[in-house]
Amino acid sequence: MRKCYVATLGLALLLAGAAAAVEPGEKAPEFERPDLDTGAPVSLEAYRGKIVYLDFWASWCPPCQVSLPQLDALQDELGGDLFQVVAVNVDQDPRKAMRILAQMGLSYPSASDPEMSLPEAYGLETMPTSYLIDGDGVVRYVHHGFRDGDLEQVRPIIRDLLRAHPASPAR
Amino acid sequence: MRLAASIAALALVAMIAGSGCTTVKPWERETLARTDMTWSPDPLEAEFKGHIEFSKEGALVGGGAGGGGCGCN
Repeated sequence: MRKCYVATLGLALLLAGAAAAVEPGEKAPEFERPDLDTGAPVSLEAYRGKIVYLDFWASWCPPCQVSLPQLDALQDELGGDLFQVVAVNVDQDPRKAMRILAQMGLSYPSASDPEMSLPEAYGLETMPTSYLIDGDGVVRYVHHGFRDGDLEQVRPIIRDLLRAHPASPAR
Repeated sequence: MRLAASIAALALVAMIAGSGCTTVKPWERETLARTDMTWSPDPLEAEFKGHIEFSKEGALVGGGAGGGGCGCN
């Protein structure tokens, strides 16, 4: 019996540092960080009521750079009153990310998190990772990694959420 | 005796948990993503060697996420 307690305590110690990944159905952790470009605060709360596609990226992550212009096109296509792409950059030196933003000219906000506390809070399992969050702040879909064509999987899910949105003109 | 053994086991577990052995989290791989940190800085050469190893030895080529490289998907 005592050995069982010791083993359990040992396992608890080992797992103590492990961050639980945010899964669909769970509330997305709230945050507020400065925008890379303007310095203005970017928060999830500000987009409450909208469907948010939250994308974690970094300048050193090649698949992330593939995704950026495609997410910009997604924002142009679906963005408006009901949908918004929001990015979180995790470069320790934000200037590296700012150079990429200057080259690409993205139309959606990119928050800067050089302390990398948000990936910890979300329990990211890979880079990049994106979260589709509904108007109530609940994660509805998690997309791990990015390759060309991935948004073809995501687009129908976003459209379904848009159709189901209380303010959708389709209702 | 049993108590001493249990305390020793617990101490060992605590030492392992608190040791420098740790996995690098996906968002912490900036330094590992540098080209000079990859097993082979030339991706074409790495692929060529990996193909040879697989053909000759049936060996699966590792590297990437486990060692250098961004470990991205």
